[in-house]
Amino acid sequence: MGKHSINRRQFLKSSLIAVGSLTAVGVGVGYLQKVTTEERINQKFLRPPGAIKEKDFIYACIKCGLCIQICPVHAIKFAGIKEGLAYGTPYIDVREQACDFSCDSIQCVETCPTSALYFVPFKMAGEKAIEKYNLTHKADVNYNPFPVQIKAMKSIVRMGKAKINTGTCLAYKGKGFKGTPRGDKFKGVNRSPYSQDQRATPVRDKFYDEKICHICVKECPIGETAIIQKKNDKGLLVPEVLDGCTGCGVCVMVCPTEEPSIVIEPIKS
Amino acid sequence: MNWRMNKNKPLPAKRKEDIPYIKEGITFKEWKAKNGSGHKWRSIRWTVLISINVLFIISFSLDLAILEGSLSGSRLIGFYLMDPFNSLQELVISAYSGHFGLLTMNFAIGALTILFFYFLMGGRTYCSWICPYHFLAEWGDKLHNYLVKKKKIKEHKFNIYLRFVFWTGFLLLALLTQNLVFEDVNPVGILSRAMIYGPGLILLWVLALLIFEIVYSKRFWCSYICPIGATWSMVGKLSPFGVKFELDKCAHCRDCQDVCEVPHVLWFVERGKATKVRHDAGSDCTRCGLCIDACPGNALNYTIKGWDKIL
Repeated sequence: MGKHSINRRQFLKSSLIAVGSLTAVGVGVGYLQKVTTEERINQKFLRPPGAIKEKDFIYACIKCGLCIQICPVHAIKFAGIKEGLAYGTPYIDVREQACDFSCDSIQCVETCPTSALYFVPFKMAGEKAIEKYNLTHKADVNYNPFPVQIKAMKSIVRMGKAKINTGTCLAYKGKGFKGTPRGDKFKGVNRSPYSQDQRATPVRDKFYDEKICHICVKECPIGETAIIQKKNDKGLLVPEVLDGCTGCGVCVMVCPTEEPSIVIEPIKS
Repeated sequence: MNWRMNKNKPLPAKRKEDIPYIKEGITFKEWKAKNGSGHKWRSIRWTVLISINVLFIISFSLDLAILEGSLSGSRLIGFYLMDPFNSLQELVISAYSGHFGLLTMNFAIGALTILFFYFLMGGRTYCSWICPYHFLAEWGDKLHNYLVKKKKIKEHKFNIYLRFVFWTGFLLLALLTQNLVFEDVNPVGILSRAMIYGPGLILLWVLALLIFEIVYSKRFWCSYICPIGATWSMVGKLSPFGVKFELDKCAHCRDCQDVCEVPHVLWFVERGKATKVRHDAGSDCTRCGLCIDACPGNALNYTIKGWDKIL
């Protein structure tokens, strides 16, 4: 009996310490979550395509890294503690490596087992596009519904929206650009919409000679629903971001100015 | 530990002439030297542990689609596997917040597959055969034991049921903060991700934990905190695979308890404690096989319950 009660007392004592430390951890996490959730996602760190609301994302993501593994251009990275995001969650730093959709299937979203990246809307958009395509092209010799499916899927991605900094943008100064936008050591890759490549190629291998800089317009994987070149009221040909912008960040990655003159702003919901 | 003891009456203590080495007419030392104590199971186990973790690493670095993801959730050749405690937290939070309906079929399949697999394999088998933190902690143990032997530090023990307090606590915390709190401090996930996707500052936490285990309390995390281990412990309650003990081969030297990470599962090796001539180690047993390697009398062995009678 005596031995039992000592054991029980010892257990209760350590349990109390346990509950205390858990409470401390809980309060800490709760506080951090409260102060940082809003600011967590900024222009530098975006969540991958299809991410649900940050408040839900934070628990839905089990930090398994499957989205990171599947991304062919390695755009998605793990947040460490210094990124100020929740540790271990995935993010995209578009200036370093943007999501250029060269995977052609939004597979990071499809691979997520816990729907932190939610695939159903993409799936539905793709199926709808195929149905529509089938109505008119069923009898075609080169029947291939996949391009329309992919196009429909990627066009509903909303990681944010691009915004041009008119103060530094070369086009707003009427300037052109000749050369390689990010230098020859830059590691980022993308698949240009005008190229015949199957895979993304390094930005450092690309050479531009533009009278008026519009590399962002040229490299946009979405095309004319997202960004166009337009004459502004001063008569300058400048890029203009439209509502079709997915926030993929390719424009940010290829922008030749020291600080990017185009940034992705998070969408306020 | 008294609570979990078998309520049955113990068998009478073994008579001296029944102790194996006395029966053979040799001393304990001679007997031990004769039967040898190798590291067979430890070598096999470390090989498995290292291979699995290397498989994770090369699946990412060499872009092989064999074992992708990390120990929190992975995909084995396209087939999903989910850590059960993570899944449980996810379910609890999702059920509350309404995310539940969004969870994929892969999530359910992954969680159930791994639950079933480890039910067959013995629950905490995961701890000693897969977990990378366990591997580190094993080396930490060696250092700890050395320091205790040299009387540089004192051993601090706590109640092993603390794990279930933490298990409940972490689950409640997840629900209250709407965040996978445990995953932020989980050394298994941290190590697994660091190995696969590159190290980060958070590894300092794992190091701190390891140092604490070395200088203060042996296997502190595994024994008293880890809710993953606690989950497996529950899963392993009815597992067919485990370690069996045969009383007639035992010399009560308790070498097995010395090497065991959870010596309370071997309570029956003490002289006069066993209540049956055959015992199975409890569900806290990690099936690591250290006791099997250590036992000079071959009294401890792996078993599949019910099968050894047929064979």
